[in-house]
Amino acid sequence: MLIRLTPRATLAAAVLSALALTASACGSDSGSDGNASDNTGSSEAPSLNLISDGTLTVCSDVPYPPFENFDKTTPTGFAGFDVDIVNAIAEQLDLEVQIKDSDFNALQSGLALNSGQCDMAASAMTITPEREQKIGFSDGYYDSEQSLLVPSDSSIAGIGDLDGVKVGVQKGTTGEAYANENASGADIVVFPSDGEMYAAIKAGQVDALLQDLPVNLDHQNDPKAPGEFKVVEKYDTGESYGLAMKKDNTGLIDAVNEALATMKDDGDYQKIYDTYFATDQ
Amino acid sequence: MTLKRATRRRLRDGGLYVVLLAAVVVVVLTADREAISKNFFDGDTWKGLWPDIILIGAKNTVKYTVIAFAGGIALALVLALMRLSPLRLYRWLATIYIEFFRGLPALVVIIFMALGVPLAFGWTPPGGTIGAGLMALIMVSGAYMAETLRAGIQAVPKGQREAAQSLGMGGFWTMVTVVLPQAVRIVIPPLTNEFILLVKDTSLLYVVGMQYDQVELTSFGQQGLINYSNASPLLAIALVYLVISIPASQLVAFLERRQQKASR
Repeated sequence: MLIRLTPRATLAAAVLSALALTASACGSDSGSDGNASDNTGSSEAPSLNLISDGTLTVCSDVPYPPFENFDKTTPTGFAGFDVDIVNAIAEQLDLEVQIKDSDFNALQSGLALNSGQCDMAASAMTITPEREQKIGFSDGYYDSEQSLLVPSDSSIAGIGDLDGVKVGVQKGTTGEAYANENASGADIVVFPSDGEMYAAIKAGQVDALLQDLPVNLDHQNDPKAPGEFKVVEKYDTGESYGLAMKKDNTGLIDAVNEALATMKDDGDYQKIYDTYFATDQ
Repeated sequence: MTLKRATRRRLRDGGLYVVLLAAVVVVVLTADREAISKNFFDGDTWKGLWPDIILIGAKNTVKYTVIAFAGGIALALVLALMRLSPLRLYRWLATIYIEFFRGLPALVVIIFMALGVPLAFGWTPPGGTIGAGLMALIMVSGAYMAETLRAGIQAVPKGQREAAQSLGMGGFWTMVTVVLPQAVRIVIPPLTNEFILLVKDTSLLYVVGMQYDQVELTSFGQQGLINYSNASPLLAIALVYLVISIPASQLVAFLERRQQKASR
């Protein structure tokens, strides 16, 4: 049986939906117009093209300790190396910080930035030529290495032992790319995030993880699984993390680079770095 | 002023069309067509997706759906018969099972089977993570389809069973040769629904980790999103999903029409 609306109700519904469409279309239009005028009107930082005035909206794929994690005790609700760096930059630029937990795919494909969800993506993202085609990057703020994590009782000693072995990688990361290039005989298993990868190696579903070094070190030093996993190899890939911004937002990119340089000069950067990494080296 | 009834109706209908047309025009005009064609219709990306989108993505989606559906039906049949059993213990067991697995999100069951069970019991379901994930889909879809099948069995007129038994048929043969064939006919439409839901639920398997030749359509699309920094792969897989699910439902509609004719 069809549910029949009276013609009048149908008409009313149609008019309403048409109005809603028009309203939403106008809404988005005036939204972007408003932005443009905000930028010229802002006296603090005239060239920063921000989606909401006075606030740096940052997207990050959380959790990915030690770079980003949830933390209810902080003003933003997030903590970690990236978060501290972003907070310090925003302080210099006199901006509030708002952090949104996002999907890494949306970040590194540039969709989150181009669709206006956030001004910046700070998510332990390596600067690569492919990503640079779609995204504007800040100068590198962290030099990373790749690494191989295995259970402590494993016989795998390095990337040469991975033939026919199940190796967990995170989807869309430089670790995945490194595994594809250098461990061709391995069965590469792709996971949506580090959380599932770590659970999978604990569950014996994979035999090794190829992941950014600091993250694997975090697993090696996991207080809940002491001595169960070890990093057996590090790979210097010469990669460096960058803060991602919309490619054409050069005003913001320049301001962020300037702030990064200041932090490195006055020792703030080293302080943040030591908080997270000093004990691991 | 009084208008003729037919005139009023024609005016009203005309008004409706104008409003709908206006809505369409508004949507088309306000959309950023250049951005859409750049992000969703990028020629090189579309070419790059071929032929893996079919040979890997679509193939695995269909394979996973068929396995989960076949396993789910087998499980559902057992559960439905248990629920209709005169033995109270069977009824209870089946009810608890069904309530439990209908009450949990499929994603949670998948994670539990693939990552939780090996952790807790040191036992890995066969077929690696994908096998475990498929097992979870079977467990969940079985719970849903059990209720559908039970309703179908109960909808077969009691006289059918009585007639079979008066011919000297035992309970088992009555069920297999008389009741179930009629029940299956009754439940075809709701089972189609479950099938189409399963086509899409196979995308949840991404969470347990996949090798490249194991990816289904959604994972394939996300992989493409990354490789091409472009949303075209999402549009492409959406179309392939429709190519899979619409013919499936049309086929069932065709079968149904034929059966209706036959039973007339």
